[in-house]
Amino acid sequence: MSEEPASAAFFRVEGTLLTRPTAFATAWLAANAQELGGRLARLGALGAALPVWGADPGLARRLSWSALRGMSEDRLVVLGEEYFHEWLGGHLAPLGLDLLERARGEGRRIVLVSDSLDVIVRHVAEAVRADDWVANRMELRNGRATGRLVEPVVASLSGTELRTYADEHGLDLVRCSGYGASAEDALLLSAVGLPCAVGPDRTLRRMAREHRWPVVEP
Amino acid sequence: MGIGASLSGKHVVLTGVTGFVGKVFAVLLLDRFPEIGRLTLLIRGGREGAVARFERIADTSPAFRPLKDRHGADLGEYLADRVQVLDADLLKPGLGLDPSSRSALSDADAFVHCAGVTDFDPDPKKALDTNTLGALAVAELARHARAPFLHVSTCYVAGTADGRVSESLNVGVSPNGTRFDPKSELDRVLQLIRKPKRQDRIERGRAAALELGWPNIYTWSKGLAEHLLAGMPGLDLTIVRPSIVECAASFPFPGWNEGINTAGPLAWLISTAFRRLPAAPDHRFDVVPVDLVARGMLVTLAAALQRRAPRVVQLASSDVNPLTFGRTIELTGLGLRRYTRKGNGTALEKRWFRHLDPVAGTGGWFVPFEVRGLVPSVRDGLDALLERELPESAKSRLSTWRRSLERMSGDLDQIDDMLTIYAPFIAGYDWEFETTAVRALSDALPADERDLAYDIAGLDWRSYWIDVEFPGLMTWSIPILRGREVPVDPASSPPLRLVQSQRAASK
Repeated sequence: MSEEPASAAFFRVEGTLLTRPTAFATAWLAANAQELGGRLARLGALGAALPVWGADPGLARRLSWSALRGMSEDRLVVLGEEYFHEWLGGHLAPLGLDLLERARGEGRRIVLVSDSLDVIVRHVAEAVRADDWVANRMELRNGRATGRLVEPVVASLSGTELRTYADEHGLDLVRCSGYGASAEDALLLSAVGLPCAVGPDRTLRRMAREHRWPVVEP
Repeated sequence: MGIGASLSGKHVVLTGVTGFVGKVFAVLLLDRFPEIGRLTLLIRGGREGAVARFERIADTSPAFRPLKDRHGADLGEYLADRVQVLDADLLKPGLGLDPSSRSALSDADAFVHCAGVTDFDPDPKKALDTNTLGALAVAELARHARAPFLHVSTCYVAGTADGRVSESLNVGVSPNGTRFDPKSELDRVLQLIRKPKRQDRIERGRAAALELGWPNIYTWSKGLAEHLLAGMPGLDLTIVRPSIVECAASFPFPGWNEGINTAGPLAWLISTAFRRLPAAPDHRFDVVPVDLVARGMLVTLAAALQRRAPRVVQLASSDVNPLTFGRTIELTGLGLRRYTRKGNGTALEKRWFRHLDPVAGTGGWFVPFEVRGLVPSVRDGLDALLERELPESAKSRLSTWRRSLERMSGDLDQIDDMLTIYAPFIAGYDWEFETTAVRALSDALPADERDLAYDIAGLDWRSYWIDVEFPGLMTWSIPILRGREVPVDPASSPPLRLVQSQRAASK
């Protein structure tokens, strides 16, 4: 008898487990660059990306991460840990944690999905004892950030990306659950059998209503 | 043949066990290879006596923790069955050994000479007597015993000949290419430095060193020793050259350090208000954890006992896993940042180190030397105020400021001296030391000794520097620079004594 495919619970970190936006992490990392002058220039570059967020979040994301160009991998790794401990560790959303524990109790593999950097997300994953995580990685050359993210850039997970992940890990997406909080997570929620909107933004709330996805409020 | 098989039943003589490298080497050897026949330690006993000095060190030095953990109350017996301590002084004729001690060394299978002065700018008389003439005296014992002689030198004998430095020695050719006769040069400089004032001796020593391309008295004394030893007929010589020896990666435990090594003063500098280090960011900072040096020495000793050791073995990192000054300085700043974040230091220091990272380079802002010129007049002003009739609280505050001023002024002087001494190493030259020999010897180790391989390529500098080196320096080295005591382990009760087991005594 063949073994039944495993199921997983996909948690989009931003919105379900963390209320602080990724842009805050970018700004904090930029503000802690090695040289004082460099910090100001980087924050300036971040400010320039702000107006783009409304029109094209993907482009804005790429522009904002470019503010970290030239920072060393050493600094990103150390600051990633510090950022988690100072700004995130004590602020994990109780509702998200509760949902995560319930999913774990149902025997699901816990997978975090984040548009933040791996150097930060790995600590979130460790704190919530996630089985796996998907996040962005900064492209490095000679130990320094080029300012570009390694492709494919993670926003949320699209249906195709999710199916690839499921194939690689022997998951049956129909039996998987997904948790998201913003319109960006709609594709993730559409691709799993058990979607759930967690304190959704206006757009996702409307979509949840249309697709009859469960909505939970903090 | 592995290290254990090479050492089994053999008599090894070691100098320098009271020093940083010698201690870790001896403890590693005794911890891993109880099958060694005998380890004779040549120690300057002074008033305390050599045996009592060794017993105290074995009892209270944290380096001996692995042996203490393994043998507990039986450590004295374990050591006594394997270790022989002889009173010897590198500065005395014939090392000050009595005839019975000399004869006890005649059956030695190998000599490892670790002892030496490691200050960068010592009194040249002391440096030559210890590092040069002392080495020759120990080598004479090895020649007499027809035993291999491992001379622990330094990679920095390369002097001003930077770039890639091979594992070789061109006898009679100095780093700047000058041809010289080592014996005549030694006689000449011994005459040259015959001056009553220490400062005169230092200036003459520095000039003589620079003439041949050695940037300081330390590398000059070690360099001359190499050339003289290589010219000793009948000596089975292997020169082991570590680069900058720093905190242990794992043995005797992560972070262990003793004394002030090269990175200690740099870390101390970064832990002061000083933010810009005059170092070349892209130049290599060749650092090796002390336990890797001890491993490299063990591997080389085993080869020497099999009479197949290369002439020169370098224990460095720059050829296979280079660390630059720029990266070191950033890692030190990050280490300090994490250190203060975890509750060490004041709130002001936490903010300071978070917002003002150290950087490598010359010039720039906040080099506080300019303020030094103001110190005397500010001090006079404070003294004048203190002589006036003021409320006690105001006087107390002024006295505190005056003390802070004195301390700051002292720190700046110390930094100035330090940077002058370090300049050639951190900004002047860029060396890449070849380490082919020790890696080849390591590759030949049997499976059960692979953990003793010289695996510098596998060292993760970020994790080592931030989690091991920096906390290690803060515990074991920086307190010395701040004039404070470093911790020692509590002595056993009763204190450790070298008392042979009945089985060994009846042999």
